[in-house]
Amino acid sequence: MKAAYLYKLVSFVDWPPGSLPPPGAPVNLCVVGDDPFGATLDQVAQNQQVNGRPLIVRRMATVSKSSGCHVLYITGSKRQSIASALQSVKGAPSLTITDGTEARGSVVQFVVREGRVRFTVDVTIAAQNGLTISAKLLSLALSVRDGPTS
Amino acid sequence: MTWRDEFQPRSGRSGFAFGGLALIGALALVAVGLLMGIYNEQAYRAQKTREVAVQAQILAASVTAALAFDDRKVALEYVEALGANPEVEAAGVYDTQGRLLAGHARPGAAPAPSTAAKGPTSRDDRYIVVTAPVRQGEAVMGSVYLRTVVEALPQRLARYAGVAVLLVMAALLVSVLGVGQMLLKRANARLEERAQALGDANNALQIHIQERERAEEALRQGQKMEAIGKLTGGLAHDFNNLLMVASGGLDILEKTEDPVKRQRFAGAVRQALDRGAELTSKLLAFSRRSPLKPEVVDLSTRIPDLSILLERSLREDITVELRLADDLWPVEVDSTQLEVTLLNIAVNARDAMPKGGSLTIVGNNQPDLAEGELIGDFVRLSIIDDGVGMAAEHVARAFEPFFTTKEVGRGTGLGLSQVYGFTRASGGDVQIESAPELGTVISLLLPRSAKSAPVKASVTVQPTASSNQGRVLLVEDDDNVALIVLEMLQALAYQPTRVESGAAALRILNQRSDFDIVFSDMVMPGGMGGMDLARVVSQKYPRLPVVLTTGFSEAATTAAKAGFRVLPKPYAIEALASELGAARQGV
Repeated sequence: MKAAYLYKLVSFVDWPPGSLPPPGAPVNLCVVGDDPFGATLDQVAQNQQVNGRPLIVRRMATVSKSSGCHVLYITGSKRQSIASALQSVKGAPSLTITDGTEARGSVVQFVVREGRVRFTVDVTIAAQNGLTISAKLLSLALSVRDGPTS
Repeated sequence: MTWRDEFQPRSGRSGFAFGGLALIGALALVAVGLLMGIYNEQAYRAQKTREVAVQAQILAASVTAALAFDDRKVALEYVEALGANPEVEAAGVYDTQGRLLAGHARPGAAPAPSTAAKGPTSRDDRYIVVTAPVRQGEAVMGSVYLRTVVEALPQRLARYAGVAVLLVMAALLVSVLGVGQMLLKRANARLEERAQALGDANNALQIHIQERERAEEALRQGQKMEAIGKLTGGLAHDFNNLLMVASGGLDILEKTEDPVKRQRFAGAVRQALDRGAELTSKLLAFSRRSPLKPEVVDLSTRIPDLSILLERSLREDITVELRLADDLWPVEVDSTQLEVTLLNIAVNARDAMPKGGSLTIVGNNQPDLAEGELIGDFVRLSIIDDGVGMAAEHVARAFEPFFTTKEVGRGTGLGLSQVYGFTRASGGDVQIESAPELGTVISLLLPRSAKSAPVKASVTVQPTASSNQGRVLLVEDDDNVALIVLEMLQALAYQPTRVESGAAALRILNQRSDFDIVFSDMVMPGGMGGMDLARVVSQKYPRLPVVLTTGFSEAATTAAKAGFRVLPKPYAIEALASELGAARQGV
């Protein structure tokens, strides 16, 4: 379920001009840390387009600003915690997604509520990363953090 | 009236054409109204469809995220929010697989279909159904379904009702006007036909009236002649006496030389002849065919005149007495009819007095009469006899036409009906009082006339035999008459020249210009009569006076009407002197 949500989230986000590859070049969706999806994500992402660009799923243990990831799903691993991973891409034009509200510092956090997958959005972080989140997405979010980061 | 014959059908056709045109106009008006209604309805539907499509797009935009993340609750909120719009009957949100994520339907309405509809929009008469895809960027997230009811039929009809009523009224008005116009034209045509028929009937009536007038005139003349017939016996007796006097007188004149005797018998003969002349002139005047012409009549002079005739027509054992008031008012009646009336009554009186008796005519004024229809001033003329009288049942029927008590061959039964007709036509009435052996009183009531009777101007010129009176051209075809008249003219100191015809008179007038007057008989053999001669003379010699003479009363009337002087025959020497003298003096 989260796999499907990952790519759907992408369409509600605007990247700053020039931060995305030229049309035709793929947009990278990076799964950082342990991959909970397996082949499911690849199936879902297959033939999907983001602003006229194909979506490519990449898996990596660690991430840095030079990794070229536009969308990051960070689960954390022994080699790089969620916090350090987020720290490493902070300020880059990337949509960071984590699980659980306790994992602060990402743009979108998946939360399971009443047996369903919901999410919260941190607009401040998104702004730091130069991203604009669609109001439609915000209206659906469980909560929206807006204000200076503590 | 051929123009009317041509005109009528044309007017009828144009009437039908106009009526048809009005009906077509009314139908066209209704058709245009219907077309406008249909067009409005279509436009309304199109606009509604656009509105619904916009709403669907708004819904699609609103539920994008909810659909993307399977948030049924939020989707349901958006879908139910649409329920605020009373026109929305059902709405649904479908995911990419076409499964219904959230649906809403008004109570009682069919729910949104469980799978997404195929087409973008579909139309049903009662609904407007719109489906719209849900997109985020290029990604299709699913679709929405929206079904709205079209405004309910009664509401729509109500919307059009005002216009429809106006339209129908206008159509009705045009139709009614058209039909009315058509009917009017038809009625006009019919009216014209009737007017023509009426005109024809009127013409026929006029002809009938003329025929009737002629018949009535003939009847009047017949009644007059009948009255004369009644007189004839008495008159013949009278004339025999006169002829006896004249003939016997002449015998004695031839045989005696005694101047006193001659003088006396000449006087008696003269008197007898005068009387004869008077009688014939009255008879001629009476029998003249004249149109019914009311004139103002002074009864106090007319009745004594008439009594001369009456006396002759009654027997010698009947005395006639006149008792007329001096100041009798004038009446306006036809004088001949009045005379016939009096004669008829007198003859009836005579027959009622086989052993003789008296006939009294009483005339007096009846001011301020008020008897039934008779209101105002009247003159009452009562003719009273002391004859056998009449029974009451005869009195009641006395004025009926053809009612007579006389034996067959003696009476026509028209006498008293003429009396009745005359008095009613003159605005008066006739009353009859009678009892067996007590006599009869017949009273004529004649309305007073406001006009006064004309006074006859009598010009009397004394014959002066002393000096030369001038040259007279006498035109007379009868030698005996010419002999006497020449003698009379010479006795009056005229210098007469006699010719026998009008043509001869013109010839002599051509040769000699010293005549002072022409005295001509009217009826002469040959082409030229006295009237023609008088006309030529008055044209060629306007200063030469002409006096005509004749024994024919009709010829005399014609000449008098044409403006010529006429001396009716027979005339005495005094009348001749007076007429010629007046003519010469231009009176």
